[in-house]
Amino acid sequence: MTSLMSTDYDAIRLSAQVAIAATLFSLPYGFAAAYLLTFVKFRGKVLLEVLVNLPLTLPPVVVGYFLLLLLGKNGWPGSLLSDAGIRLIFTLKAAVIASAVVGFPLLVRSLRIGMEGIDPQLIKASRTLGACWHDTLLSIILPLSFPGLLAGSSLMFARSLGEFGATIIVAGNIPGVTQTIPLAIYDYASSPTGGSTALALCLVSVAISLAVLFLHELLARRVARGE
Amino acid sequence: MGHLQRLLLYLFVLLTAASSAGAGEVALSAAASLKEVISELSDNFAKKNPGVKYVKNYGASGALVKQIENGAPSDIFISANLEWMDYLKKKNLADVASIGTFTYNTLVFAGAPGKASSMQDLIKLERIAIGSPKSVPAGEYAMEAFKKAGLDKQLEKKLAMAKDVRECLMYAERGEVDGAFVYKTDALQANKAKILFTVPQELYPRVTYPMALTVAGAKNKDAAAFFGYLHSDAAKAVLTKYGFAIH
Repeated sequence: MTSLMSTDYDAIRLSAQVAIAATLFSLPYGFAAAYLLTFVKFRGKVLLEVLVNLPLTLPPVVVGYFLLLLLGKNGWPGSLLSDAGIRLIFTLKAAVIASAVVGFPLLVRSLRIGMEGIDPQLIKASRTLGACWHDTLLSIILPLSFPGLLAGSSLMFARSLGEFGATIIVAGNIPGVTQTIPLAIYDYASSPTGGSTALALCLVSVAISLAVLFLHELLARRVARGE
Repeated sequence: MGHLQRLLLYLFVLLTAASSAGAGEVALSAAASLKEVISELSDNFAKKNPGVKYVKNYGASGALVKQIENGAPSDIFISANLEWMDYLKKKNLADVASIGTFTYNTLVFAGAPGKASSMQDLIKLERIAIGSPKSVPAGEYAMEAFKKAGLDKQLEKKLAMAKDVRECLMYAERGEVDGAFVYKTDALQANKAKILFTVPQELYPRVTYPMALTVAGAKNKDAAAFFGYLHSDAAKAVLTKYGFAIH
C-alpha cells in the first residue's frame, strides 16, 4: 500500500460529506415525491414519474452540464444567486447538488416500494377513525415506510459516493476542497506515476461501497418481510 | 443461417475490419495545446501524400504516455515537457534516435480583463484553474512558478485541476474561474479570456515540446515520413502562425 497524501484523506472525508449531505437534503423531497406517486391521484402523474426517474437514465455528464448551464454565471438562477453573493459552481455545494439530483430516483424508488407495501386497510381504518390526511401521513405512513426510507437512503448514499460525471463538471476538481474519491482516482489514473495511489483509493472506494450495500441488503430484506 | 447468426457474422466482420485498419495509418499522440497546429499540419501533409489516415489523439502529455504504456496504438508522440518524454524513453517505448525538439511555448495567465496583472495578484483571486500537475505539463510549470514565487501554500485551496490545458482554458472562457494558467498559444485561441500576464521566465523551465517516433512508429514508414515533415520549414511556418516559438 502506498502512502496516501493529505489531499487523498481529504477526498475520502469530502466524499462522505457530500454523500451524507446529498442524502439528507433529498429525504424530504424524496418522501414527498414517493407519497404523491403512491397515494395521490392527479393529472400529470406520469410526467412526475418520468421526471423523477430521468436522472437514472440520463448520462450523469448531461445532468452536470445542465446544472452548469443553470447554476453557472451565465444561467439565470446562477446569476440571481451570484447577485445575492452565493456561489455554487466549483464549490462543495455544487457537488452535493449534483449527487442529490443523480441519486434522487434511487431514493424515491425504494421509498415507493416501502409505501406500496403498507396495508391499505390500515390507511382506510385511520381515515374512518377520523384522521385527516396529515394524521395518517404522520402516524401510519411515515413509521411504516421507515425501512424503505433507510434502504433508499443507503442506496442513495452509495450512489453519491460514486458520483463522477456530473460532479467533475460542476464541482471542478480542487484537491482538499471539492475533490472527492472518484475525482482523485481520475486524477491519478491519468498519470503514469499515479497507478498505485489510484489503486489504493479504488480499494477504499470498494470497501465503503461493499459496506453500504451490505447494509442496504439487510434493510431491503426487512422491508420485504414487512417488519 | 438464422437471423441472429447472420447478424453476429456481420458484427464480427465489422469489428475485425475496424481493428485491422493498421495499413496506411499514422497514430499521433500529441499534447492538447498542439491540437490546431497538428491538425493543420496533418491535413497539409495528407493533401500531398494521399492514402494515409492520421488518427489524432490529443490530451495531457502524462495521460498520453500512460495510454502508450498500456498499449494504445501510437506512432508519434509529442509531449509538452521533457519529463514525460524521458519517462517513455525509460520504459523503452520511444525510438531514442528520433527524439528531437518540435517547438517552444510560454506560460501565461488568462482570464477576464482586470482580474490580475502579476503573480502577486493571484492571492486575491478565488478560483484559479491549472492542469492537474500529475499529468498536465502546463499545470506542472504553473506549480513550479508558484513554488518559486513562494505562493504555493496560499494558492493551494484555490486550484481547480483540469484534465488538460484546453479544459483549463474552457474554465476561464466560461468565467467559472477567475483565470487559468495556459500556454500563450492556447490563450490566442480563446474568445473571451485574454492574456492577463505572462509568467516570468525565471520562475519555471522553458516550455519545450520534445517529439519522437515510438518503437512501433519507427517501423511505420508513413509515420517516419510525417515525422520528417514535422521537422521541415513548412511545418515551422505553420507553428509560427499559431504563435509557437521555433528557437
